[in-house]
Amino acid sequence: MTPPQKLQGTQPLRQFQDRLATCVIVVGAMAVLAAILAIGVFLVWQSLPVLFIPLETTVAKLSVLAWGTLKAALATLLFAIPVALCAAVYTALYLPARWRSRIKPALEMMEAVPGVVVGFIAGVILAPWIEQHLASALALLIWPPLSALLAGLLWQTLTPHRLPFSQAWLWLIPWLLAMGWLALWAAPLIEHQLLGDDLRRLLETRLGVDYATRNALIVGMAMGFAVVPGIYALADDALSEVPTSLLEGAQALGADRWQTLWRVALPAAGPGIFSAVLIGAGRAVGETMIVLMASSNAALTSASPFEGMRTIAAAVAIELPEAAPMSSTYHLLIFAALVLFVFTFLVNTLAEVVRLRLRTRLQRRGGGA
Amino acid sequence: MSHNMAWRGLWPWLCAASVALSLLLLGLLLALLLSRGLGHFWPAPLEAVTLTSGETFAGEAIREAKLPDQPGHERLYFIGNRDSSEHDPHGARFRWINLETIAQRDTSARLVRLSRSPWGDFIGRLEALEQGGQRLEGDAAWQALSQALAQPENTRPDAQLMLQPLNGDAFMQPLEEVYRASRPNAMTWLAKVRYWGTGVGQFLSQGPRAANTGGGVWPAIFGTVVMVIVMSVIVMPFGVLAAIYLNEIAEQNRFTRLVRIGVRNLAGVPSIVYGVFGLGAFVYGIGSTLDEWFFSARLPSPTFGTGGLLWASLTLALLTLPVVIVATEEGLARIPDAQREGAVALGATRLETLTRVVLPMAAPAMLTALILAVARAAGEVAPLMLVGVAKLAPQVPIDATFPYLHLERKFMHLGYHIFDTAFHGDSMQAAIPLVYATALLLVLIVLVLNLTAIFLRHYLRRKRGQPC
Amino acid sequence: MRLNRHATPPRLITRLAAVAIALAVAFVITFSITPAAANTTPVRGTLGAVGSDTMAGLMLRWGEALAQRYPDVTLQFQAGGSANAASALIAGTARLGPMSRPMTATEKQRFARRYGYPPLELKVARDALVVVVHRHNPLRALTRRQLDAIFSTTRHCGAARPILRWQALDATRDWPFGRIALHGRNLASGTHALFQRRALCGGEFRRDISEHPGSAAVVAAVGESPGAMGYAGYHHLSAAVRGVSLYNAAGKAIAPSRAAIQRGDYPLSRSLYLYVNAPPDAALPPAERALLKLIFSPRGQQIARAAGFVALPEPQRKAQNRW
Repeated sequence: MTPPQKLQGTQPLRQFQDRLATCVIVVGAMAVLAAILAIGVFLVWQSLPVLFIPLETTVAKLSVLAWGTLKAALATLLFAIPVALCAAVYTALYLPARWRSRIKPALEMMEAVPGVVVGFIAGVILAPWIEQHLASALALLIWPPLSALLAGLLWQTLTPHRLPFSQAWLWLIPWLLAMGWLALWAAPLIEHQLLGDDLRRLLETRLGVDYATRNALIVGMAMGFAVVPGIYALADDALSEVPTSLLEGAQALGADRWQTLWRVALPAAGPGIFSAVLIGAGRAVGETMIVLMASSNAALTSASPFEGMRTIAAAVAIELPEAAPMSSTYHLLIFAALVLFVFTFLVNTLAEVVRLRLRTRLQRRGGGA
Repeated sequence: MSHNMAWRGLWPWLCAASVALSLLLLGLLLALLLSRGLGHFWPAPLEAVTLTSGETFAGEAIREAKLPDQPGHERLYFIGNRDSSEHDPHGARFRWINLETIAQRDTSARLVRLSRSPWGDFIGRLEALEQGGQRLEGDAAWQALSQALAQPENTRPDAQLMLQPLNGDAFMQPLEEVYRASRPNAMTWLAKVRYWGTGVGQFLSQGPRAANTGGGVWPAIFGTVVMVIVMSVIVMPFGVLAAIYLNEIAEQNRFTRLVRIGVRNLAGVPSIVYGVFGLGAFVYGIGSTLDEWFFSARLPSPTFGTGGLLWASLTLALLTLPVVIVATEEGLARIPDAQREGAVALGATRLETLTRVVLPMAAPAMLTALILAVARAAGEVAPLMLVGVAKLAPQVPIDATFPYLHLERKFMHLGYHIFDTAFHGDSMQAAIPLVYATALLLVLIVLVLNLTAIFLRHYLRRKRGQPC
Repeated sequence: MRLNRHATPPRLITRLAAVAIALAVAFVITFSITPAAANTTPVRGTLGAVGSDTMAGLMLRWGEALAQRYPDVTLQFQAGGSANAASALIAGTARLGPMSRPMTATEKQRFARRYGYPPLELKVARDALVVVVHRHNPLRALTRRQLDAIFSTTRHCGAARPILRWQALDATRDWPFGRIALHGRNLASGTHALFQRRALCGGEFRRDISEHPGSAAVVAAVGESPGAMGYAGYHHLSAAVRGVSLYNAAGKAIAPSRAAIQRGDYPLSRSLYLYVNAPPDAALPPAERALLKLIFSPRGQQIARAAGFVALPEPQRKAQNRW
């Protein structure tokens, strides 16, 4: 927008007010930018003394934390990416706009639940239950997705064209509830028949796999719940920005749903989905409360999903308040926070750049047709 | 080939199931919080249990669990009566009882439950009430007790209760330590609803008792509200100014694009990093300097050199700044240039264009920004662990002494209260019901705020693109 | 001509917002004006305490009792671990530091270097470190060496081999199965430091111990898991767990009972400390003096028992009751 031209000096008060206001605005904005920069500057400045700490201590301490953070993030993405992407595909491509405008905010409500509440439920309520009913938990993880395919089969054979697919999500809710109930009921029976014993006991005695109450599985599920809405929102935006002319063109050429998705929509929205996953990864790396409450905070570097871990964020939250200011632990922890900051900043920047490129590419493509 | 075809036809169902699963999980979480959180205040029935060994006790059944090493189940009872642990070898407020050892359970209407301080709940029989030389027994005692408790705290009569726990000796209990009494087995449904309502009201209006395992969360609510207000006062002006600068005043070139990307990225930085900055720069840096310059008389007791309301609000203001800037910019960008050009054509200065045309039109967007910032601040706990929350701060940050708003005081916060009550308390089993209630309260607040923001955004979007 | 149709903001929303903001401010002001105290007692002020999570419940109950007696006094408490208390006292962010372990010589030196006088050390109650197992676990007693072999990698107390699985112990040869899942506290905790010093003979903890932010969480975790073992303060014991007896130097298994802890017979019993920043030449502020007076009175010790701790032995209480 063009800035207003200078007035011809008829009303000095108005001009003065105008200049003053512009000054105030610029100063305010500069203060904001300075505050934002100050965070980075402070972290770097307070991390410099780490250079004087012997390398072995730094590496020993930080490698455990880095491993734990990566393990937690991987577990999270393992749960979050399939659910979020599939949900985005459904709402972007198969729901009419009216329903989409209602369901999308509902799913974004998942993000509103504070991390401390999710962590409490996962660490205090869910983790002990899963430990005592491991077979039921695994059944709950495996059976409902398979039962969705079964539901599809029944839908197609029993009610061929009476109910539209765009209502499938609604009917699947009671279906999934019922199937979950079935899994909970059947799992102990199957466990007895097939394995003859408690699954956990078998894991420990036959396979030598130790099971910790609060482990990567729990953290993955809890943080997955918290991260799904973030990935979902961005992936949905990316998929819905694919120009309909592209999709209609594919359908005109005789492609079915799968081919349209796999060959046209996903490649077109690919960068947007990639950026969504990156942002989800950034959130998974930085989440503190859930990890603090739902992982065992054990300083391990084990690859087993049934063992706990300690992440950078949780370690900083626990140890920084009691570290004496300006001590080496203090600087080490600030360095760890700097690593977190830089990582998430880079990941988010990359995601944003990719997203902007996608937008220009789609505009060019859509405009051409 | 047919498998391939089947998969091709069926895979969308996985996607539909993902949507259904997410909604289902959200619904289950809310249902869990509602049932356990609100259910905590409902008066639970009491039982008098007789074991095969002849021992009797009174308690409330909580839950059952399978025995780990043998077939069978055991049940958890809450028995209270912590002070009779001198006589009782078990001495704890809870007991796990193997179901096979239970000979008899009966729900006598005469069992009472008293909430007391400091020894916690009592479950048993009320034998007598002695007041001013008079001794009432049985139902008359219960009537007198209910009447006495119905009066406000400082006008209650001086009385002694003779209490009989079923598994110990009778003892005398001063009335002044009792603050609630009920006979759950004898209550009608209406009386239970009233009891439930009073319980919820007390939860919202009273402070914590018995070291955060009883009572209410009023100071936490108040502390959260005050902190959010102070934070909003800091973040809104600066956020709006920055958004105005980026959108209206600065030249749209590469630099502003970089700044925009930077601000968006800051929204994704983990909150613990802000906490670290707050602790290092605000508390240890500026805070101790302030102490040395202005409050050196009070040292070594720190004023601003420790966590408190001001530093917590500043840290959260920094945390929510990107949210405010992005939301406000969205609103400003939606205003068609024609409006601004029209104002300039009529001779308005930049300030006048802003205050009379642009900002009023962007007001709903700024409101959305405020609501989103508040929703985020109410739920963030990690930075507050570092910069300023207290386990118990019964002195709220605002009172009648000058300067009325005490920015150096610590405060309680709903989110931190959840973490603290669950993990730093005496016994997790005793604390969990209150944690559920607090979690429900927090989730409801945050959900309502987010829904309001979404409603506002929809309202804005419907107005977009309409011709001038 | 409807040029101004979108120039004015949606009235309803702006009005609603103004009303909401006004309500919030009114709410805050109304509920915060406390009536002036009828009697002006000289005991007033805020007591700031930072420190041990073990003593959190105790300090809060003492604070509540103090506020009942002197409405103008309030206690602000921030938990997080005994190490916090020492750092806070030294840095000056608090004047009271409840700790579940005594200050180390280094911490005392740093305090003395900063202020020129040592911190005032008071013993306020008794507690014990209790090793807990699930209530159905058959394990009843452990020797000190076995305890060390289970929890540490260094085995300074003299055990030959580490004990990793339940089968290695006699009482639990058949059940529970598998690895002994260990639960403990994190670095900031005095309980952690004390256990390391006394039970591990100064050695190092194993890396795979689940670390919890509070002892209540440790006890809850052990109570849910038959194959778990942990350590916690005596007052955190619940019906879900059982405390394990320890063999003392004479070879007798002492159960963690109240009497044994008060007398000091139980091997891992300890005193709970309160460190005060008290300049030797000046009198303590009246609020702090009132708190100490309450703590060492019989009522204060009764409150300690209500909180689940063990009261001081009478001679110790009387000796420190000089406020």
